[in-house]
Amino acid sequence: MARSRTNARIHCALLVLLLALASCWAQNDSPNSSEHDQETIAHLVEQIKQLQQQDHDLLERIKILEAKQQTSPVAETDTASPPMPSPEPAEQTPPPQSAPGDWREVRGIQWHGFGETDYKVLNQRQPELGTYGFVPGSAGNFYTGDFGLFLTSRLTDKTSMLSEIIFEDRDAQSYKVDLRRMLLKYDRNEHLKFSFGRYQTNIGYYNWAFRSAAWLQTTADRPLVMEYASNGGLLPTQAIGLSVTGAIPSGKLGLNYVAEYGSSDTIRPDINGTGLVNDENNGNHVNVGFYVRPEVVPGLQIGASYYHDKISNFIQGPSLRYGQSIVNSYFVYVGHGVEFLNEGFLIRDAALHFSDVVFNTSAFYSQISKKLGPIRPFFRYQYVNASSNNSIYDDVGLRAGPSLGARYDLNDYIAFKAQLDNTVRRGEPDLDGLQLQLAFTF
Amino acid sequence: MGVKPRATPLLLGLAFLLLTLRATAQVAIAVVVNPGNPITNISRGDLRKILAGEKHSWPRGQPIKLIERGPGCIERLVLLRFLAMSESEYKQYWTAQVFRGDADAEPLTVPSVGMQKEAMALFSGAISLVDAKDVKPGMKVIQVDGLLPGAPGYPLH
Repeated sequence: MARSRTNARIHCALLVLLLALASCWAQNDSPNSSEHDQETIAHLVEQIKQLQQQDHDLLERIKILEAKQQTSPVAETDTASPPMPSPEPAEQTPPPQSAPGDWREVRGIQWHGFGETDYKVLNQRQPELGTYGFVPGSAGNFYTGDFGLFLTSRLTDKTSMLSEIIFEDRDAQSYKVDLRRMLLKYDRNEHLKFSFGRYQTNIGYYNWAFRSAAWLQTTADRPLVMEYASNGGLLPTQAIGLSVTGAIPSGKLGLNYVAEYGSSDTIRPDINGTGLVNDENNGNHVNVGFYVRPEVVPGLQIGASYYHDKISNFIQGPSLRYGQSIVNSYFVYVGHGVEFLNEGFLIRDAALHFSDVVFNTSAFYSQISKKLGPIRPFFRYQYVNASSNNSIYDDVGLRAGPSLGARYDLNDYIAFKAQLDNTVRRGEPDLDGLQLQLAFTF
Repeated sequence: MGVKPRATPLLLGLAFLLLTLRATAQVAIAVVVNPGNPITNISRGDLRKILAGEKHSWPRGQPIKLIERGPGCIERLVLLRFLAMSESEYKQYWTAQVFRGDADAEPLTVPSVGMQKEAMALFSGAISLVDAKDVKPGMKVIQVDGLLPGAPGYPLH
């Protein structure tokens, strides 16, 4: 009897132990289950808020409809009209064309916007870098950078339009309207997608990835080489013409191409405070690029492009033409909260007549950041080197140095960024700067 | 020594219980398309491209319409896990997709399985993720790398 009792106790103990283990195993499916639970709770709370908001919106709409019915004479007098058809069965009720409460869509036009407010301090001894509304020569001032309205609309299954209207902060708080992109798009299939209109040249990754929106960027400003030409950047960032993109059948390699033919008209201000504005009088450019997104490493993108155009040197006169070739390659990884961007450029300007002068300008930047909850600390190093006899980028010269800072996402729409910069210049004292930025999207 | 013969079936039963609990702890999520879509299987890579908005049309050229459940739903959590993104990263990612011009709009988000079913019927190029136990008539379940929901190695759970 004693032995059987002992056995029974052993069995009970074993049963309880195994059940406890099983329960723990089932509940703790992964080591991060507590984090998942927290995430799930947060999502559920958000969903409840959304449902409450939808409920509130629906009640408001009912009130409006009731008010309209009460005030509409037709509604009161139209008693002789045929009876309303009975409601359609639930299966035939058309679903919403957009998300419930989706205020982004108005009459089939999707609209978004973005903006920023900045404060910048620069220990400049001579006024310079007067871009985005920053006052050259000031110790520090506020400015609003780019404010953008972004509209898209699908016209047919394969045709759509896109426009990006930017209000640029200029000198003395004046604003310039720039139709930075305006495209009619025709997507024949995955391999052939056409865009006609004003586009952003696909030189490099940065401009493709972040466009004009400061909110999309991790850093408070763009690397100098990727700046818009209207803000002193070196590249021809805008053009009107035809752009063709698509995927090349390549299995798991994920090879894509881009080809552009268009007319640029690059006008760039000197960034060294001279006040000069250079009109490059561009010809028609050709830009061809390839990039791969291998399936085995989601988030990895490696690409290269070649751009060619003819430009003028504003200082030497429009008759002296240069053949401008820009070679770019990049290696980018964005995934698991990590952002690792690396791009290199070689800009070659070779005189076409009267001279055999060639100017080579090299540039690169490397940026790394890691998202830690709402905070994303970042580090960037950039380098631009235009030789001292380069009369096209004489305002740029050599500029190199690190930037260090952090982005803090207040919510899904607003981000605050703080950034420290140090820039080494050839023959000039270093520039140290602090930038604070509040960037938002809507 | 006499314990072993009686303990063996008990332990086997408990092992079965463990496996059952283990299976129920993981919810299989089905990939569903419009019933008129001839596709029956999709590779994991293509599915990732579609869910990330990198692939915009089906092999016959029909535009893909991505339909999603809102934050907090199991389908959404599985989607985020599959794409290795957090909710905020996912939202930012889609905003970027739209700004780049790579997408006309963010995916259509619906609050219920019923609306998901109706949206599937309306858009011939629709694709969505649904809890396998909630799959309804009018939703065509497709295989992922030749696997159906619940099969060993199925990537969405």
